[in-house]
Amino acid sequence: MQNEFKVGGEKVEVTVAKNDEIWSLGEYSGRIVGDGRILITAADGQARFAHSAKVGDTWWVHFDGHIFCIEKTEPGSTDNDSDGGMVAPMPGKILDVKIANGDNVAAGQLLLIMEAMKMEHRIVAPSDGVIKQVNFAVGDQVQQGDVLVEMSE
Amino acid sequence: MINTVLVANRGEIACRILRACNEAGLNSIAIYAPNDAGTLFTELASRSVRLEGETIADTYLNQQQILAIAVEYGADAIHPGFGFLSERADFAQAVIDAGINWIGPAPQAIEMMGDKMTARMTMKAAGVPVIPGEEIDSDDEAEMVAAIVESSQRVGYPLLLKASSGGGGKGMRKVEDPDELVEAIMSARREAITAFGDGRVYVERLLTGSKHVEIQILADKHGRTIHLGERECSVQRRHQKVFEESPCPVMTEGLRSRMGEAAVLAAKAVDYVGAGTVEFLLAANGEFFFLEMNTRIQVEHPVTEMVTGVDLVREQLRIAAGEPMSCGELMMRGHSIEVRLYAEDASNNFLPAIGPLAIFRAPQGPGIRLDTGVREGDLVTPNYDPMLAKLIVWAPSRSEALQRMRRALDEFVVLGTTTNIRFLRELCDNRDVVSGRTDTMLIERVWPDGWHPDYEETTLDAALMAAAISESAGLHRAVVAQAGIESGPTSPFQTLNRRYP
Repeated sequence: MQNEFKVGGEKVEVTVAKNDEIWSLGEYSGRIVGDGRILITAADGQARFAHSAKVGDTWWVHFDGHIFCIEKTEPGSTDNDSDGGMVAPMPGKILDVKIANGDNVAAGQLLLIMEAMKMEHRIVAPSDGVIKQVNFAVGDQVQQGDVLVEMSE
Repeated sequence: MINTVLVANRGEIACRILRACNEAGLNSIAIYAPNDAGTLFTELASRSVRLEGETIADTYLNQQQILAIAVEYGADAIHPGFGFLSERADFAQAVIDAGINWIGPAPQAIEMMGDKMTARMTMKAAGVPVIPGEEIDSDDEAEMVAAIVESSQRVGYPLLLKASSGGGGKGMRKVEDPDELVEAIMSARREAITAFGDGRVYVERLLTGSKHVEIQILADKHGRTIHLGERECSVQRRHQKVFEESPCPVMTEGLRSRMGEAAVLAAKAVDYVGAGTVEFLLAANGEFFFLEMNTRIQVEHPVTEMVTGVDLVREQLRIAAGEPMSCGELMMRGHSIEVRLYAEDASNNFLPAIGPLAIFRAPQGPGIRLDTGVREGDLVTPNYDPMLAKLIVWAPSRSEALQRMRRALDEFVVLGTTTNIRFLRELCDNRDVVSGRTDTMLIERVWPDGWHPDYEETTLDAALMAAAISESAGLHRAVVAQAGIESGPTSPFQTLNRRYP
């Protein structure tokens, strides 16, 4: 069965085959056990349990002490993640705006200060670029996921 | 005598205290904000009372409402835990005035230690060494800025601005460059006003390369004040501790007794009663300086409990009831490490995270203790502190304790909310952590450009396969169904109906 995922910003196609209760992918084989964990056996015979849970469109997978967020995407969907918007990490309030529309900024430059959970958080430019749009002013309340600043590179 | 303890707190520390009450055979009352209904701590009390209101100020910080509940349900003692009202002298006084035992030191001691500038002056007078720095005696913004700018030239750079009412890293700013000073003062002041309603800020020299070492104190009402050795809590991010241990890897018997004596002196200077912690900075040359005294139980108290065998919360209950503390001559045994599990993104400046705890499976086995207030299925919200749990291990030696912590963190599965588990796991492999050369700048020094998870491609491949199997098999539905009544052969409901010949 074919699945399209996105992990770390990259698209991946994963095709697993099923034969009886055993799934296979290249040199790995996998089996779902009674409590919902997945026993994955590598080519060298070493077997480890993976835990998985789906929240929204994202599979959270724990394997060998590592956690991955693997987003399920629909085949053929377009990648529109590169619009360069800086998103509020959590609900809070804008304390200070250091830039204006049209400003040139350098990577790492301080753009906004917001307060959430009684702590100040600094929102910095992820790369060099030009500020296209500042969407909030000092004192505004923002929700998690709100695009604070739009930038072009 | 104490019969009924009201725990004026929530989450993990409320669970810790309520369990101690249950063990001591005391009645207990939990109070909870509406958005905490159904969480673990509300189930551990003899009685749980819902607070009215939505904000923290209306609920866990609402002195009148909490006191009214204590009186109505016959509480004869209040345990404040940490945070919230634990270091509010006015609340301690109101509790005492209502004829209820306050499980903590006298309001005067809280007041003297709670205001950091006053504490500095008290310690100087008692002969306890303090960090080079200057108190700033002004609350007026313009005056304060001018005074700090002037004082900064005497104190020298790098320096640290601290809010006099500060705690938990709030209202604290490191300044390396004089050009950044004014903006840092304004920012620290703003944060301090929001968090504590007090914008006074003072200056201390930033002692780089030093360790954060603190001494646990117990004092009863029969005149006995003792120290229970040290905890090292150098490894911090945003001035909040993430990795704590006892004993401190560089401690010697001589240094421990000198620091212990200074801590006992500090406690006696304010007629301290109960459990408290005196925090010091320990410089590389063995000099130590008073940082502050926390007049309450501390987050990292379990590591002291593991190496001394003393149940600090039970001792708090005994001392408040007027009994002498029960511990005799102390002997530190083995090594204990605690890590704090936060819902936060360690790869993005440790920003707090929220989400569901879709899976929460804690490690098990010898030498492991988990103090938490959450369970699988709970939601992590932005309403409260993002600390999910404290994972504590004990082992005969430091290297075995680190091995045990690595194993425990590998076993710990939390899915649905971003946590710092992997960061903590890699921290346990860091060369300086392994050798005990930890200082307060460790995280910034080791990961100057931020931390990013490191893994083999084959690990990601296996995870992708697990996601593909989960998706193809519709596994999320299978997991949900298993938790229901109509599930497979392991369901307890089926076992109940089974007839045996």
